[in-house]
Amino acid sequence: MMRTFRGGLLIGLAVAVLVGVLAVIYEFYDTRTLKRTVRRGEVLCGVNKGLPGFSIPDDKGNWTGFDVDFCRAVASAIFNDPGKAKFVPLDASERFKELQSRKVDILSRNSTWSMARELDYDLYFPAVAYYDGAGFMLPRSRNKETSLDLTGSKICVQAGTTTALNVADYFRANNMKYEEVKFDKLDEVVKAYDTAKCDTLSADVSQLYALRLNLSKPGDQMILPDMISKEPLAPVVRQRDDDWMMIVKWTLYAMINAEELGVTSENIDEALKSKKPEVMRLVGTEGNYGEQLGLTKDWVVRIIRHVGNYGEMYERNIGEKSKLKIPRGMNQLWNAGGVQYAPPVR
Amino acid sequence: MTDFRRLTGVFMAAVGLILSAPHASAQQPDRGDEPGLVADDGYELDPEWQKQVVYFRTTEVPGTIIISTAERHLYLVQPGGRAIRYGIGVGRDGFQWQGLLNIANKKEWPDWTPPPEMIQRQPYLPRFMAGGPGNPLGARAMYLGTTVYRIHGTNRPDTIGTKVSSGCFRLVNRDVADLYDRVPVGTKVVVRQKPEL
Repeated sequence: MMRTFRGGLLIGLAVAVLVGVLAVIYEFYDTRTLKRTVRRGEVLCGVNKGLPGFSIPDDKGNWTGFDVDFCRAVASAIFNDPGKAKFVPLDASERFKELQSRKVDILSRNSTWSMARELDYDLYFPAVAYYDGAGFMLPRSRNKETSLDLTGSKICVQAGTTTALNVADYFRANNMKYEEVKFDKLDEVVKAYDTAKCDTLSADVSQLYALRLNLSKPGDQMILPDMISKEPLAPVVRQRDDDWMMIVKWTLYAMINAEELGVTSENIDEALKSKKPEVMRLVGTEGNYGEQLGLTKDWVVRIIRHVGNYGEMYERNIGEKSKLKIPRGMNQLWNAGGVQYAPPVR
Repeated sequence: MTDFRRLTGVFMAAVGLILSAPHASAQQPDRGDEPGLVADDGYELDPEWQKQVVYFRTTEVPGTIIISTAERHLYLVQPGGRAIRYGIGVGRDGFQWQGLLNIANKKEWPDWTPPPEMIQRQPYLPRFMAGGPGNPLGARAMYLGTTVYRIHGTNRPDTIGTKVSSGCFRLVNRDVADLYDRVPVGTKVVVRQKPEL
């Protein structure tokens, strides 16, 4: 009797220890980012080390920028606190591997969405945050309105970049002549342009606006509205982690939908009283979309209150009221001249 | 009958008072209209309000004017997914509207006859003012359908980018003259406002 009792106790103990160990192993290897993020109490965001307008720290370590704000929006949706976003600066060369190895939960780091990147690294780009592309800067005095007028230009580019290839393709396709002036470093490209060693500078349009700030006469320079390549910048998450991917994707789409419906950080309290069905679904006074995402009913209200809608995020960091002054262009809403289009919350 | 009339009179006066109250209590006189002030043609607009060619995707045909009140931009649609964008001053809160109209008439250095509603709100305005550099309508005016609204110039370039008018759209004189030469009578004008909650 005593013997069986002791035996049973031992077996019970062994089972308990085994369950405990399994639970620890399971927790450790649990790949669901949302769960890990919630347990940790913060979102780890992989960002650029210093790109004005997109992500840059000040001397006190406070981060600002479009990419930074998007990550704060994700943190707001989950924790109702934009301060729960922690920024991990990553180099371009290591960023995808760092995401793959779970050093960060999300990459919000001016990364171009391409098929190879999704396939090579087992990653997923949920939605386009910013439509970028290669373009041209030239002195206003050249009086050109479109890139098709650039035949005969002397174009400064950085050697070995996709920009140099895009420029070559574009001029060939349009049967136009140009002279390429190449430099290895971006600083040299900018200096050459500033000292009139070339009459045109080509780079991604968002970069051209940033580079323009450091020229001796920024006001005399113009950036053409044309883009000659597709560089859709998007946040990145790991594949086969759908709950997390859905949160990242719909955070961006909620911000775009909010702008389209006129919901801003200033009128969010009024929006909560709205009787318009689209607005009610967005702010959670109707439906349970937030709960279905694994969040709360007011997830969008949290995003908008703390970070604002897409347009507010754009204007504050890179828009015409910011230092960079990039016109909305392609990033304007689909019904106002651009291509930013979010599926409805319905 | 007299009682009713008197009542109506009292009511109208009350409405007038309510309408004029914000102006009376405002720290500054109305910023939008300063008849007699000669425009400073050297005034430099912020880049956001300077005339420029921008990417603009639309199904409207080239030559159409699209006004975005919330953005304070006027777009003249061009072929190839672009538009010439001008900075504008728009109506004050409560004086904004949206709709589809045509340019019904065009005038250089237009005379100004403020409509009665405007006189009632801003009694200090002149009843008539001949066209010229001191005229708040500025160098050109394009009449929108049969409404009292116009796309016009201004003698106050510093009001571009603000909510300032009684529903008209103002451009700096240089820009309004440029637009005037590009658009014929009959041009379609689409006015878009911020969505209501």
